[in-house]
Amino acid sequence: MFKKNHYYLMFFAIFFIQGLVAQDVTITGTVTDDLGSPLPGVNVVEKGTTNGTSTDFDGNYAIDVANLNGSLVFSSLGFSSKEVAINGQTIINVGLVEDAEQLGEVVVTALGIRKETKALGYSLTEVGGEELSTVKQTNAINSLQGKVAGVNITQNATGAAGSSRVVIRGASSLSGDNMPLYIVDGIPIGNENNGSAGLWGGSDGGDGISSINPDDIASVSVLKGGAASALYGSRAAGGVIIVTTKSGQGQEGFGVELSSSVTFDEVDTSLQDFQREYGQGTRGRKPVNQSEALDLGLSSWGARLDGTPVVQWDGVERPYSYVGSNLKHFYRTGTTFINTVALTSGSEKLSYRFSASDLANKDVMPNAGLDRKTFSLNSSAILGEKITSQVNVKYINEDVQNRPRLSDAPGNGNFTVANLSPNVDVRFMNPGTNPDGTERQYSNNTFSQNPYFAAYSFRNEDTKNRLIASTTLRYDITDWLYLSGRAGIDHSTIKRTSVEPFGTAYKPLGGINEEERRYTQIDADVILGFEKDITEKFATSAFVGANSNHIKQEQLNLGGNSFIVPGLEDIANTETQSRSRGYSERKIGSLYGSVELSYDRWAYVTFTGRNDWFSTLSFPGKTTPNDDFYPSVNASVIISDALDLAEPVSFLKLRGGYSEVAGGAQDAYALALTYEIFGQGFLGQPTGRVNGGTVPNSNLVPFSKTEAEIGLDARFFNNRLSLDFAYYNNETTKDIVDVSTSIFSGYGGAKANIGRVENKGVEFLLSGSPIKTDNFTWTTSINGAYNQGKVLATNDSNADVNLDEPRTRNVRITHIVGEAYGTIVGVSYDRDENGTIKYTINGDGVPIAVEGERKILGEGVPPWTFGFNNSFRYKNFNLNFLIDGKFGGQIFSGTNTIVYGNGLHKETLEGRENGLSVSGIDADTGQPFTTTVAPEFLQTYYGEINDIAEEFVEDSDYIKFRQVSLGYTLPKKTLENIFLTNVNISVIASNLFYLKRSVDNIDPESAYNVGNSQGLEYFGVPSTRSFGLNVNVKF
Amino acid sequence: MKNSIYILLFVFFLSACDKGFEELNVNPTKPVQVSLATKLTAAQKFMSSERYDNWRANLIYQSTMMQHLAVTAGYWAGDKYTWNKGYASSLIDRYYPNVIKSLEDMKVQMEEENSPEEMRAIVRIMRVFVFARLTDLYGDVPYSEAGQAFISGILTPKYDAQSEIYPDLLKELEESAAALGTGTSAFGNADLIYQGNQTKWKKLANSLMLRLGLRLIKRDPAAAEAWATKAIAGGVMESNEDIFYLQHDVNNRNGNSEAFDADGNQRLSKTFVDFLQGDPRLPILASRRSDGSTAPADLKGLPNGLDSELLLAATGEEDTSLYAEPSDIITFFEAPMFFQTYAEVEFMLAEAAVRWNLAGGDPEPHYNAGVRAAMKMLELYGPDAVIADAEIDAYLAANPFDAANALEQINTQYWAATFLNEYEAFANWRRTGFPNLVPVNYPGNVTNGTIPRRLTYSESEQSNNPENYQAAIAAQGPDLLTTRVWWDVE
Repeated sequence: MFKKNHYYLMFFAIFFIQGLVAQDVTITGTVTDDLGSPLPGVNVVEKGTTNGTSTDFDGNYAIDVANLNGSLVFSSLGFSSKEVAINGQTIINVGLVEDAEQLGEVVVTALGIRKETKALGYSLTEVGGEELSTVKQTNAINSLQGKVAGVNITQNATGAAGSSRVVIRGASSLSGDNMPLYIVDGIPIGNENNGSAGLWGGSDGGDGISSINPDDIASVSVLKGGAASALYGSRAAGGVIIVTTKSGQGQEGFGVELSSSVTFDEVDTSLQDFQREYGQGTRGRKPVNQSEALDLGLSSWGARLDGTPVVQWDGVERPYSYVGSNLKHFYRTGTTFINTVALTSGSEKLSYRFSASDLANKDVMPNAGLDRKTFSLNSSAILGEKITSQVNVKYINEDVQNRPRLSDAPGNGNFTVANLSPNVDVRFMNPGTNPDGTERQYSNNTFSQNPYFAAYSFRNEDTKNRLIASTTLRYDITDWLYLSGRAGIDHSTIKRTSVEPFGTAYKPLGGINEEERRYTQIDADVILGFEKDITEKFATSAFVGANSNHIKQEQLNLGGNSFIVPGLEDIANTETQSRSRGYSERKIGSLYGSVELSYDRWAYVTFTGRNDWFSTLSFPGKTTPNDDFYPSVNASVIISDALDLAEPVSFLKLRGGYSEVAGGAQDAYALALTYEIFGQGFLGQPTGRVNGGTVPNSNLVPFSKTEAEIGLDARFFNNRLSLDFAYYNNETTKDIVDVSTSIFSGYGGAKANIGRVENKGVEFLLSGSPIKTDNFTWTTSINGAYNQGKVLATNDSNADVNLDEPRTRNVRITHIVGEAYGTIVGVSYDRDENGTIKYTINGDGVPIAVEGERKILGEGVPPWTFGFNNSFRYKNFNLNFLIDGKFGGQIFSGTNTIVYGNGLHKETLEGRENGLSVSGIDADTGQPFTTTVAPEFLQTYYGEINDIAEEFVEDSDYIKFRQVSLGYTLPKKTLENIFLTNVNISVIASNLFYLKRSVDNIDPESAYNVGNSQGLEYFGVPSTRSFGLNVNVKF
Repeated sequence: MKNSIYILLFVFFLSACDKGFEELNVNPTKPVQVSLATKLTAAQKFMSSERYDNWRANLIYQSTMMQHLAVTAGYWAGDKYTWNKGYASSLIDRYYPNVIKSLEDMKVQMEEENSPEEMRAIVRIMRVFVFARLTDLYGDVPYSEAGQAFISGILTPKYDAQSEIYPDLLKELEESAAALGTGTSAFGNADLIYQGNQTKWKKLANSLMLRLGLRLIKRDPAAAEAWATKAIAGGVMESNEDIFYLQHDVNNRNGNSEAFDADGNQRLSKTFVDFLQGDPRLPILASRRSDGSTAPADLKGLPNGLDSELLLAATGEEDTSLYAEPSDIITFFEAPMFFQTYAEVEFMLAEAAVRWNLAGGDPEPHYNAGVRAAMKMLELYGPDAVIADAEIDAYLAANPFDAANALEQINTQYWAATFLNEYEAFANWRRTGFPNLVPVNYPGNVTNGTIPRRLTYSESEQSNNPENYQAAIAAQGPDLLTTRVWWDVE
């Protein structure tokens, strides 16, 4: 790119010489930035002519002009252009103002190539590191929420150490994970999910991307479409997120940067709005004794709270009155401290940046937290005249204490805390243990855990050690031909211990599990590249490359049940032990190439092609292909450069592209049936069986995803207003799908290879700078996206693909041909032709809602997303805020279902005093009826309604005030006399409140796993609000 | 010139792009086949199954419907005739993916390995047992196409009518019994139940034939008699040595015991405790929840169909820990799991004698032998469960065979002998109507206050096998607890 500029300079020089003959007035001057530093390389053009020059290293220029009444136009990348009337002056000094909109115009694209955005024929969004490090998230990727159109992020409701689901432009595979490929400093890193909660509970094990320290991130590029990712191959079928960490480049001499932040998290108790009028009990009365209080557990079908003493689960009488928010009583204020120190040094030949960071988090869940230490070294060196190198190394140590259990009740303190009757104070359950160490039960249902026992006696801790290292070497063979090689490794070991302690009510003798997971990914590329301007206007760059990707995973498990010596939680101290080892290895080999042609810097076209070979599609004797070739083409035309467009248009680009990406089976060993020896044997005899519950498919071939995209980038009023718009349409064919089979077939699923999914959508980003003065600027942007996914085929009989169901088991996420991706299918009301609900009248005269068929009740992924960003700068103050929202999706609320049955939901107040009038159709007679349900039978009535999923699938629409930050940068003048070069302080707040929320009592974004089953909520850790302070110092 | 070196380099990469991939994708931790012996051991484990379905189908539903157990807690749906679909279908949800899948896979392997007939016969008998348990509980179920998703690519099996399953099961038993000799099967000790003893398997085949034959009594009495005659002629179990049961071990725990360990709400039903008055089995089967006492006077049964409030109203007592629960003597993790006992066989012989003058024609010795065996077999629970002969004699003296009430007496004893094998207790109750159970009528029950006649199919069938599921309902009747299976004629 730099070389091309020289050609332009040459053209200008030629014009300049040509002009000498006729021109006789020379104008000179210096161009500086707003801090007064000279700006080299600024283009200076006599308006309306082709006469121009550029500034030298000291910002000086000289230009001969013919017309002293004309004007000069000064322009430079990253600055707003400026037009100055000559008015007879011969010395014109100009100050240019940085243009935030334009700063990002050089972006990191595939394979780490930096490109001008105008040359891109596809949609790419780059987010600067400061956007991620101001309002810091323990998982930096969550900071992209609301900032990038078309990127849909869902965090698990599990606290700081959890994983996130990131989907770009809609999920395109029915069974694949649909997550983007993460590239950190040029190499792919693993984003394996290390455990997740499901139907029967469990906990989130965290993911790979969450390890990256937000303070180290220089920028994040989101390559949305297939065109953008063709060069990364099959694993990029879900898009690519490129994280570039900070380096020492650009640093002059030695520098130190310190950043410190503290964030306080508080459970947002405003979401939950349960009834506070009726206490623990049954049939409208209070428990009569301790035994009944234990039997009743979480039942809030008691009498109206009246303050009289009533016995509770522990035999103690307490006033029968509202005890305040148990959420407030149980959860603590979470704290997160992130401290990073970075040393940078730069010289002509060698630059580096070393950083060390410590993240110390105490979660809102008592006794849970995360400690993360990150060490990072980035260096680049010019080793010789033709050889440059880069080395990046990160070491990450993560300690997680007690990942909270989610979903089903056992071990899940959240379940109990959310369900306690208004008159039962959770704090009396502390401590969670009896003097003998066994669980203090508040309920006879052994699976309703004492939340303090869950928090303090259950253990679920892990330690991760991770090394991510990469090196790049580039050898310039000639000035137009280079060879570069790059290799990287991502290796991690996780050691996890989880304990159900001795004395657990549902497992009196307890159990322990010790697990070790090892993950290694090695990725290497060799690229031969070519860059040449063929004629004055035609330029070309091209490369061919080869890639090898190799992933190895191993998992060792030791399980022990029934502790022998109480209190000693060691695997050897158990009556029975089990052990297992899992292993998988897979490789992808690739050849790829790219050719870019450009004409006169306003027309660009890029062709790519890639062939991937997949080990997961290879097997001895297999005859169907294990590889696929896939091409892409994309083009962009800068209309504003090609034609001379008048104001207000300052820039107009059209782009378009078509791409294909192929992919293999996600997991190894899916082609052939295998057997296994399992368990510990039985009375000394080994036990063997078929391995796995999915029918393998020996003929799997690569799936293919095609995408067409067109887009527009338009800027107006001297770049003060801009619009980026994209329309895309992608379709996956030959998707490798686990189609659900009948339970009677002996298998839960069968691998098919003819799945089809399509996604269509639009994305836009409208941004502007309504106010822009020296002291005050306001920039604002709104981004939005609409994506509609549709399942077109599954297998040859187009059977459903069943995904997860919550513990209520009356609803399930299912892929159904002809419907949206991941529909919510659940039990509906049985209605007559007029839509009137049918009931059967039981012996007590209580109408029991008849369960109708399971039908589609919604879609779990909201198709509409938007973000509204605002940034104000007044002198040295910065104020930013972000509002975001999602629309058009639904969520099944397990919380509302359960609290309905328990009489905690506000709607169950109706009828408590005088009975509830219910009308409907009597299913036995077919005749309409109206009856009054007596207060003592309300729990039967409402308790049956809570089997009807239809009642609890609600719109998940929301608009959230996501974050706000106020920053202050100390003026340079203040710092002049001390050794500091930059000091910035900011206060931040996030997740402050909802401007709109459709669903009651829960966070509409709540989820308990990051798989394809979105739209299920079931007793995760409640959502939090955060407040914090950041300090950043450079010297 | 230099460039051609790079081109060569790329050609090298091209050839290396999938080198070794085929071998790499062969799973290094899993064998491509395992021996039939290991599969048989596993199939027997799966036949006894795990906590999941023993808790749900066996205990929560059937043990309380059969009034062996009673519970105040609301989720014990069988105590109150409410409907929990996941609990109801739990036997299907475990049996098909585990034991049936294994047995179908073994059939293929035995074909490939040309295994001896006696091995095949053992597998066939086990297959009959599991399918009989399934069809008795659910009615029409996939049989001919079940468990074959990998073998023959049938992902959505059709449901076979019980009227067609039963004749095939009986034919399988007949052929299997004929194929068995006298020595030890090649399965040897991998056969945890009979250690490969062919004679015992043969007796089992005939004993199951007797059981399934009698099941037809309301539908086709002539066929019932014919199969009973054939079974008795073939030779049925002759002592407690022949019992069809699985001894559990510490790594492979008894599913009922695991459920009791995790639950704690179960009590002995008043119906059952009342029956056991003066019965030496009572202090072995039961102990008081609060203090573990096994003194008969301390052992009180909990009425069925009550929650805490109704219990208080009905009895003035609300502390459920004062009631008897299944004792530690029989609920330890390594406890045996019974599938068919010699006692049951004797009771069936007694009934055959009453009905058709079979088995010597005199029911009384069979009745006495049945009661004796039912008491003696508790020894398999260990030394604490031994009942002295004198106590049995005394019991028989106090409860002699009553020819006037023979069928009720015999089948009520059958019910007592099948405590914890609730699948059998439920099937035999539906067949004979004995014991004479008084249904409960808990508010909100879904059976109109009648004891359920079957359990319901897996809900997933509605979406994963809709056509066959609908066809089954059309043939059998609605998928409800009150629908009767084919042999259960009203």
